[in-house]
Amino acid sequence: MSTITQSDYLLLFRGNVWDRGLSPAQLQKVVSDWMAWFERLKAEGKCIGGHPLEEVGKVVSGKQRTVADGPFAESKEAIGGYFYLTAVDENEAIEIAKQCPGLEFGSVVEVRPVADVCSVKQRAEEYSEPELGGARASERAYETVSQH
Amino acid sequence: MRNENLNTETTTGDYMLLFRGPHWDKGLSTGELQQAMNEMVAWFERLNEGGKIKGAQPLGGQGRIISGTDRQFVVDGPFAESKEAVGGYLILQAGNLGEAVEIARAMPTLRYGMSVEVRPILAECPIFQRHPELVRQINNRAAEELWVAAAA
Repeated sequence: MSTITQSDYLLLFRGNVWDRGLSPAQLQKVVSDWMAWFERLKAEGKCIGGHPLEEVGKVVSGKQRTVADGPFAESKEAIGGYFYLTAVDENEAIEIAKQCPGLEFGSVVEVRPVADVCSVKQRAEEYSEPELGGARASERAYETVSQH
Repeated sequence: MRNENLNTETTTGDYMLLFRGPHWDKGLSTGELQQAMNEMVAWFERLNEGGKIKGAQPLGGQGRIISGTDRQFVVDGPFAESKEAVGGYLILQAGNLGEAVEIARAMPTLRYGMSVEVRPILAECPIFQRHPELVRQINNRAAEELWVAAAA
């Protein structure tokens, strides 16, 4: 597996239904808590960016490159948004994730280290070190784009 | 909070591509893998040179899932073998969802079983769209604050 050499983490917020059934007061509180949490993390330099995702979208898959509507509106698994974190280590990223105001209403946070190297590329190199010149170009391509 | 921040139709013109199923390379020969990687690089570089890519990163196979009201439920994620697992992301600048989908359809590794989720990135939380009364409340409060400030 790849080693964690960066201190960047992606928080993926899962579940688009947790706000159903909340009272207006609860809803107002959780939304303002969430915004305050985001602003604080940005002010502390812990969060570089983050956005909600629209509940529409498409899933492209298969050899035929089929395009389907995604089940984003009613799913507990659906990703509703993300934060891009800079943390000291995984524990700090987890501690930040635990502060998510949506947790008490059933929102789920996935904490993922941002990798410096694509895992497929790494596996490819394990198979055959000298043959995969293209994989190295892939790494360069990744390095040329700035983090969002 | 200012009223214009609560526009519920705010899209950013950016799209997040979520690459699902990071183990698409399983069972490929070295030659197939090399070809796939070269095609991926070409696809990526063409987009990058066209100024379409705002950010892209692979995600590590490790990770944690945080859930529960007590905020203490931390488990390892089932990322390694799942076809649903997100293996990386790309933030794309596109004219509309259709263009973003066409770019996703050109991704070479689709033929090996990877899938791509294409999602518009919003400037505002969709909770506002579902709860217009919340927007009214916040607007009313902001208006009250303005009124109080004006009176003062």
